[in-house]
Amino acid sequence: MWLRGSWVRALWVAAFMGVAAALIVMGIRDLSGRTAYSAGVVQTFIMLFAGIGFTIGIGCWDYWWGYLIGRPTPAHEDHSNHGAYSWKDYFKVNTDHKVIGVQYLVTTFIFFMIGGMLAEGMRAELATPGQQYFSPGTFNGLFSVHAALMIFLFVIPAFAGLGNFVIPIMIGAQDMAFPRLNALSFWMLPVAGMCMVSSFLVTPFDAGWTNYVPLAVHGPDGQTMWVMGVQFAGASSIATAVNFLVTIVTMRAPGMTFWRMPLLVWANLATSTLVVLGTPFIAGAQFQVLFDRIMHTHFFDPTGGGDVIAYQHIFWFYSHPAVYIMMLPGFGIISEVIAIHSRKPIFGYKLIAISTVAIGVLGFTVWAHHMFVSGMAPWLRIPMMFTTMAIAVPTGIKMFSWLATMWRGVIHLTTPMLFACGFLATFVVGGLSGIFLAVIPVDIATSDTYFVVAHIHYVLFGGSVFTIYAGIYHWFPKMTGKMYDEGLGKLHFWLTFVAFNATFMPMHWLGLQGMQRRIADYPSQFGTLNFFISIMAFILGASTLVFLYNMAHSWWRGETAPANPWRALTLEWQVTSPPPIFNFDEPPQIVGSPYAYGVPGARHAVVTVHAPPQPEEVPVPVALATATREEREAIMSALKHILVVANQTVSADRLIAAVRNRATTDPVRVTVICPQNDPTDAWVVNEADVRAATQARLDGALTALRRAGIQATGYVVERDPYTAVMDVVEEDPPSEIVVSTLPQTRSGWLRRDLIERLRDGTKLPVEHVVSDAPEMPRA
Amino acid sequence: MSAHVATADGHHHADGAPVSAYHESLLRSPVFLGMIMFLGSEIMLFGSFFTIFFYMRFTHSPWPPEGVEIPKEATGINTAILISSSFTMHWALVSIKRDRRFGLVVGLFLTLAMGLTFLSLQVHEYLNLGFTPSNNGFASGFFSLTGLHGMHVFVGATLLSIAFLRACRGHYSGAEHIGLEVTGLYWHFVDVVWILLYTVVYLL
Repeated sequence: MWLRGSWVRALWVAAFMGVAAALIVMGIRDLSGRTAYSAGVVQTFIMLFAGIGFTIGIGCWDYWWGYLIGRPTPAHEDHSNHGAYSWKDYFKVNTDHKVIGVQYLVTTFIFFMIGGMLAEGMRAELATPGQQYFSPGTFNGLFSVHAALMIFLFVIPAFAGLGNFVIPIMIGAQDMAFPRLNALSFWMLPVAGMCMVSSFLVTPFDAGWTNYVPLAVHGPDGQTMWVMGVQFAGASSIATAVNFLVTIVTMRAPGMTFWRMPLLVWANLATSTLVVLGTPFIAGAQFQVLFDRIMHTHFFDPTGGGDVIAYQHIFWFYSHPAVYIMMLPGFGIISEVIAIHSRKPIFGYKLIAISTVAIGVLGFTVWAHHMFVSGMAPWLRIPMMFTTMAIAVPTGIKMFSWLATMWRGVIHLTTPMLFACGFLATFVVGGLSGIFLAVIPVDIATSDTYFVVAHIHYVLFGGSVFTIYAGIYHWFPKMTGKMYDEGLGKLHFWLTFVAFNATFMPMHWLGLQGMQRRIADYPSQFGTLNFFISIMAFILGASTLVFLYNMAHSWWRGETAPANPWRALTLEWQVTSPPPIFNFDEPPQIVGSPYAYGVPGARHAVVTVHAPPQPEEVPVPVALATATREEREAIMSALKHILVVANQTVSADRLIAAVRNRATTDPVRVTVICPQNDPTDAWVVNEADVRAATQARLDGALTALRRAGIQATGYVVERDPYTAVMDVVEEDPPSEIVVSTLPQTRSGWLRRDLIERLRDGTKLPVEHVVSDAPEMPRA
Repeated sequence: MSAHVATADGHHHADGAPVSAYHESLLRSPVFLGMIMFLGSEIMLFGSFFTIFFYMRFTHSPWPPEGVEIPKEATGINTAILISSSFTMHWALVSIKRDRRFGLVVGLFLTLAMGLTFLSLQVHEYLNLGFTPSNNGFASGFFSLTGLHGMHVFVGATLLSIAFLRACRGHYSGAEHIGLEVTGLYWHFVDVVWILLYTVVYLL
C-alpha cells in the first residue's frame, strides 16, 4: 500500500508542480507583454519543478520539511525507512546505504540497457553503407543520447552505487554521514534519466554528449532537456561526493588511519574530490548554454561579445576530470579484486594510493588536449601535451603494481578476477591509443575519426565497464547473500571480452583510414569491416543478457553465500552476507593492513560480534529467598508483573511515581531493565564508564522502589531496547510495560519509534513516561 | 566548538573536566565539514561564471561596452550593508556560545533584515538599469553573476529565517548550536563572494 501511495503521490506532485510552474511562467510572460508560450522557457520550468516535485512526492523531503518549519523532528522518520525487508522496500525512499547501493546499481543497469539499445540501433544503421533505418538527424540523436546515458546515468552512478554499498562497511561505519541526502541523491537519478530519454518524445538532442555551441544553442528542443538532465545528474553526483568525503574523513573505525584504508576508499576519496571541484563547471557551462537558448544572452555568441571557444574550455575543465571520475573508482575495485584473488599483499600500496591522488590533481591540468583542432590559442597545445603524457606515469605505476601483485600469486580465476585481468589487457590498449592522441600531430590527423571512438570505448568499456562487472561479481555474494553462477559468469566474461575486442579493435583501422565518426553514412570501401563490427556489437549486446539472467536468477534462487567466500581481510567480509542492518554490533578495531594475504597471523581488524543473549540470572528478593519453590511460584504468579524499560531516566521521580501508583491498586512485582546499546553513543564514550553510571542509576531506582515496598529486580542489558524487551516477554511475560524516556527531541529511542514498535511487537499495554534527567549521574 | 574555547589549549572545560575528542574541533562535525565541502563546489560554480566573464572581458574592449552604466556608488552602499550583516551574524554566534539569548535573537534579526534589504535594493537596481541580459556579453555576465549571487542570498536568508524562528522558540544553547555555525559559514561565504564580485564586475 505504502508503495502505491508514495508513487502515486510522486506522480501527482510532479505533474502538479510542473503544470503550475508552466502556468505561472506563462502568466508572468503574458503580463510583462511578451508572447506567453516560449518552448525553451516553459520546458525548462516544467522539467525543473516536475523533477523536484517527484523527489518531494516520493518522500525525500518529508523529514527536512518538518525540520524547516521548526517542528520537533517526527519520531517515525528516522530509522523506519532504513533497511529492506522485502523487494518492495527497494521501490521506496530508503536511508540505508546498502539499499541505496542496490537501488543505484539496478537503476543504472536499466539505463545501461537503454543506452546499449541505442548503440545497437547505430550499429544496425552502420552495418552497410547508405541509409537504412534512421535519418541522419535521428542518428545524431542516437549517438548523443547513447553517450549521455552511458556517462551520466551508467558509469558515474554505477560507481557511486558500488561505493555506497561497500565504502561505509569497509571503513567500519554504520552508514553514510548523511543518509537522507544519500536517498535524495539517488532519487534525482531517475529524474535525470527521464529528462534525457524523453527528449526522444520531442526532437532528441543531437549535438553529441559534449553539447558544443553553437549547435547546442540553435539545436532542437531536446537540447533543453539535455541541459536539465545534466543539472539533475550533476546535483546528484555532487551531493553523493560530499557525502563520501565526509563519511571517509569523519567516520572511520578506531585504528583505521589513512594508510590503513583499502585502496577502493582511497579511490573514492580522490574521485569525490574531483566531483566536488569539477562538476560545478559542467553545471555552469550548461546553465550558460541554457541562458543563451532561452534568455538570449551572449556568452557564446561572438556577435554580442561572447566567445565560442570559451564553452569548450569550461566544458572540458570539468569533462576531462570526469574521465578520471569514471576511472579511479574502477582502479580501486581492481586493486581489491586482484589482491584478494591472487592471495598476495598488494604491491606498492602507498604508491598506488599516491598515484590515485596524483591522477586526480593532474586531471585538472590537461583539459585543452580535447581542443587541439578547435582554434584555441596555439601556445596552449604544448603544455597540455606534456601534462597529458605525464598522466601515463601514475597510471603506469598502478598497472605495474597490479602485475607485480599477481606475479607468483596463487591466482584464482573466478569471474571477478577474469574481468580484472581482461581490464588490464584492454585498458593498456586504451591507454596506449591515449598516448597517440596526446601527441599533437597524430591528434590532428585522427580528430573526429573512428580512432577516437575506439580509444574512448577501450577506456570506458574495456576500462570502466569491465571494472564495474568485476566489482558486481566480487560483491554480489555480500549484497544478496547468494552466490552467482560461476559457469554463467565465465561465459559472460568470454563473450564480452571477445566480442568487445572484435567490435572496437577494427575501429582503429577504420579511423586511421579516415572513416568519420558521428555520421550516419560512410564510403562503401569500409563496408565489410563495418558489417563485421555490427555483428560483433550485437553479440556484445547479447552477452549482457547472460549477465542479467545470472544476476536475477542467482538472487532469486542461488546458493546461499558464506560471509566470506573469498577469504578476504577487508571489513565488509567480516560481517554476515548480507550485512546486518547497522553493519556492526560494535565499532571494529583496525589493527593492520587490509592486504596482508599470505602473511601468517596477519589481521586487518578485530570485529566483535555479540553472542546470542544468555538468559540473565534474576536476583531473588529477600522475601522470596526463604520460601519453597511452590510457595515462590504461587507468590510470583499472584503478583502483577510490570516491566520497566529505561536508561537515562531510570531513577527519575516521575517514573518511580508512575510505578508506585500501580502498586496502590494491585500487588505488583517489577522488573527494571536498562538497555545499553545506543548506536550513536557507542562511538565517543568509554563503555565501562557508561555502564557504571547506568548501574548507579539503576541501583538508585531499585532502592527507591523497594523502599516503597515493591518487589523489584533489575539489571543492565547490553542489547537494543526492543530486543531486550522481547527477551523478557518471552521468558517471563509481564502484564504491562512502562517505558521511560527523555523528551521527544533528545530521545534516541523515540527517534527509532520504540513505543510503537513495542506495542506492535508485544501486543501488551505500553505506558510512556517522559522525564527530563538533569540530575542523573552521567558518564 | 564548546563554550570554553577561550581556555588555554581548548581541550578542557573551564572546570578542568576533559572534553571528549568528539568535541575538539568543528571539523569533526559532519555537518560543518559537509558544508565546507559543499562551499568548495559553490566556489567552482561561481568560478565557471567568473571564467566566462573574464574570457569576454579580455577579448573585448571597451569594457564595459559603450552606453552601459552601472551604479557603482549605490551598490557600494548595498555592499556595506551586506558586509555589516556578516558582523551581526558573528555577534549572534558569539552570543549563543556564551548563552546570551538576547544577542542571538537580535543578531539574527539584524542579519536577516540586512540580507533582505540587500536583496530588495538589488531588485530595484535590476529594474532601473536600462539594459537586459540579452543586450550584450557584459550584460549577460553581469546579470548571471549578480543573479546567481542573489539566489545564494535568498537561500541564505531562508536559512537565517529558520534559525531566527528556532531561536525565538528557545532552541540552541551554548553547547548545541551547530545549525547556527553552518548557517553562519554559508552567510560569510555569500558575503565574501559578493566582495569579489563587486570588485570584478562593478569596480574593475
